[in-house]
Amino acid sequence: MAFVEKKLPADAPVIDKALNWVDARFPLTKLWNDQWGQYYAPKNFNFWYIFGSLAMLVLVIQIVTGIFLVMHYKPDGGMAFASVEYIMREVPWGWLVRYMHSTGASAFFIIIYLHMARALMYGSYRKPRELVWLFGFAIFLCLMAEAFFGYLLPWGQMSYWGAQVIVNLFGAIPVIGPDLSLWIRGDYVVSDATLNRFFSFHVIAIPLVLLGLVVAHLIALHEVGSNNPDGIEIKDNLDADGHPVDGVPSHPYYTFHDIFGVTVFLVLFTAVVFFAPEMGGYFLEANNFVPADSLKTPLHIAPTWYFTPFYSILRATTSDFLYIVQGGIAAYVVLIYLKSSLPSLIKAVIAAIGLVMIVGMLPFGLDAKFWGVVLFGSSVMILAGMPWLDQSPVKSIRYRPNWHKTVMIIFGIAFVTLGYLGVEPPSPIRNLVSQVCAVLYFAFFLLMPWWSAMGTFKPVPKRVTFKPH
Amino acid sequence: MKFIKKMIATLVLLPALALAGEGYPLDHAPDRANNMAALQNGAKLFVNYCLNCHAAASMRYSRLKDIGLTEDQIRGNLLLASDKVGDLMTTRLSVKDAKAWFGAAPPDLSVIARAKASESGTGPDWLYTYLRSYYKDDSRPTGWNNMVFPNVGMPHALWELQGVRGAEFEEVEDEHDHSKKTLEFKKFTTITPGKLTTAEYDSEVGDLVAYLNWMGEPEQGTRKRLGVWVLLWMSMLSLLAWRLNASYWKEVK
Amino acid sequence: MGNEKQVDSGRRGLLVATCAAGGVVGLSATGAFVSTFQPSERAKAAGAPVEVDISTLKPGDMTTAEWRGKPVWILKRTPEMMASLNATQSEVADPDSTKPYTMPLPDYCEKQSRSRKEHEDILIAVGICSHLGCSPSKKFTPGAQPSLPDNWAGGFLCPCHGSTFDLSGRVFKNKPAPQNLDVPRHMYLSDTKIVIGKDEKGEA
Repeated sequence: MAFVEKKLPADAPVIDKALNWVDARFPLTKLWNDQWGQYYAPKNFNFWYIFGSLAMLVLVIQIVTGIFLVMHYKPDGGMAFASVEYIMREVPWGWLVRYMHSTGASAFFIIIYLHMARALMYGSYRKPRELVWLFGFAIFLCLMAEAFFGYLLPWGQMSYWGAQVIVNLFGAIPVIGPDLSLWIRGDYVVSDATLNRFFSFHVIAIPLVLLGLVVAHLIALHEVGSNNPDGIEIKDNLDADGHPVDGVPSHPYYTFHDIFGVTVFLVLFTAVVFFAPEMGGYFLEANNFVPADSLKTPLHIAPTWYFTPFYSILRATTSDFLYIVQGGIAAYVVLIYLKSSLPSLIKAVIAAIGLVMIVGMLPFGLDAKFWGVVLFGSSVMILAGMPWLDQSPVKSIRYRPNWHKTVMIIFGIAFVTLGYLGVEPPSPIRNLVSQVCAVLYFAFFLLMPWWSAMGTFKPVPKRVTFKPH
Repeated sequence: MKFIKKMIATLVLLPALALAGEGYPLDHAPDRANNMAALQNGAKLFVNYCLNCHAAASMRYSRLKDIGLTEDQIRGNLLLASDKVGDLMTTRLSVKDAKAWFGAAPPDLSVIARAKASESGTGPDWLYTYLRSYYKDDSRPTGWNNMVFPNVGMPHALWELQGVRGAEFEEVEDEHDHSKKTLEFKKFTTITPGKLTTAEYDSEVGDLVAYLNWMGEPEQGTRKRLGVWVLLWMSMLSLLAWRLNASYWKEVK
Repeated sequence: MGNEKQVDSGRRGLLVATCAAGGVVGLSATGAFVSTFQPSERAKAAGAPVEVDISTLKPGDMTTAEWRGKPVWILKRTPEMMASLNATQSEVADPDSTKPYTMPLPDYCEKQSRSRKEHEDILIAVGICSHLGCSPSKKFTPGAQPSLPDNWAGGFLCPCHGSTFDLSGRVFKNKPAPQNLDVPRHMYLSDTKIVIGKDEKGEA
């Protein structure tokens, strides 16, 4: 097609002419309109829909503060800890940059967990949004890796020993484990070599992947359009102009809606940064103000709070618990055979895997440490299966049987309980509770194909529930 | 694999021991964060009693200007092991000698007040109680032991001020295992009085701990003062943004 | 219609106010972040004044001290060296140091000797050429030499692009370097002890 540049009248404003020149060569206005300006979003977004924008804001905060921290931080075992104190005391406003970064890290996880909760409640992962969910899941994995690598950098006692323990988890993998741990660390223990490579991952490798995944996540979303609290597809009902009757263009409505959400977040964020940056030892741990000592393990190593729900599941997997797990797997295989309509091949594969696991958990097989790692990994990975586990005829919790709400609340309680138990030192009672919660956690997902389809569903409206402001 | 087993065993068993140490109740350190005189006195105590063995290598002498000291005062009274006011608070005690004399190198104290926080109390609470809980113990290499940090390698640096105290223990039945006996702390006893009365000593330690707390984060005062204004401004901004948003959504039916 | 105008002006007012308040936040944050570039306390401490002992400095000798990462020359000039300054007076580009390099000539320094009256023979100058920052070499021997004119009375030659300076650190005419060598603020604690980077008015 021949090159076409729209001609504007001679007295048109300069800015219009400039924009016109660019648009003929780069789809700037089109990009703006497709991705935001004329992107029609459901008008009934509630509080739960702010977390996506907040996540993007916090990503920007982390990158910007990170850039400024790297100007002064020294990724060397002998200098790292002191360089952080240098930033806190001697770099003009360094303390502010540091606290914003440490608070931002925890804020990121709070936001992401709430963002995922929204998806769970309203079925945002359902067809046609499976890819949005999968990209989001990949972002979650990268975020956890990013936080893990970043946490080694201050080179405090928690940094060092947390990394030591987690890298040693890979040692649990049979046959290749110890060599894998050695390869990851670059040394026999966590050392300067480990610090330098984790620095590279944290500062450039994962951020690049994260940015790519966020772009993919948003493109996938804009391709199919956003879900909403009622779980109905607004594109099913278009007006004369071809726009969804229940939609509003993101600009100006969600521009200013999200700006408001951002300002409220910033009130909370700055309150923490200026008045409680340590947050009682959860955001900045006391033990991390002790320089790393490879010869002295702290009395109580716990991962940072945002990893504790999954860490609890790891810790709950004792040799006794394995019997429960074996029983659970056996029961599940039976359930699959009796009550599912999966193709026979799939059923057979599941049965085979189940058998291998049950045998592997026997006393002569692999030890509880290994299975703990397996369950730990599975507890994260199972999230990816949501689009296929959920067999409910309706997307949103609003139109499901009321007892589904109870199920979700129980899941939420189990998740938070696991998180709480993870920061506390272990005890027999706590171990038992975490085992119960671990069972609840897995049951929520693994039994979802059945419970999500059970009960009396409420009629789903044709139009969204919206109260004019 | 063995290492992790040991790790898990440690995780399971040591907390029991930790609880033994954590069992000693911590007193509340007096809040003198805004008391310049107290902070300056604390700085003097720190330089005279602590810097001989401990370093505070992230702290620059010139920063003491923030608590109201002049450069001349710093240069005349407080420089130890350094020539310039712009130097860092290092110590002349080498790590090798320290290990030989005390068994372990004295830790750097730059952020000690932040490192000692726990569920039992704040970092300053720990330090305040620790420095007032020494007692004579001839079974230890230094001749000193401490209720807050059992078998600590550090001697009682402030003994001349507090005096020498002993600790009285009583044999009681272990509440977890009635067949065993444990030693329960009863009270401190005075062996030799020091230069200061108990109240005076407590106050001096209060000043020293206030200084350590300040030194752990010299910017904390600024941070909180600034925070008030930032928070007020942000709140106002969110109020405006709320009304601005409402002005657009009015038209959505 | 009238209502629309009201909404519009109300909305515009809110828009302006929100943008202004938000702008303040943005500018403050930017300001704080930009100032992290400023020299830190460590850099400033490293730039503190430096004391130099010249008790062993003989006439004709030069010693070098380090101040703010730069070489500072202390040259005890002989009577012949001082006399040469009259001859170079008409050959240097800026005899009275009216156009300084990075530091103005302190007002307690004489124009020709560029030193304090009480210690006129001692030249204290930053050994960094005002062209592109190389450190000139000392060429105290008078007479013709490679890269130097026949009537050379002594001074400094910069190896990078050939600029020459007299024994007061003043640049000769028609050389690549545009300005004289810097003379830092300094004072004498005694006849044999100089402090560089500090004078009666305080620290540089």
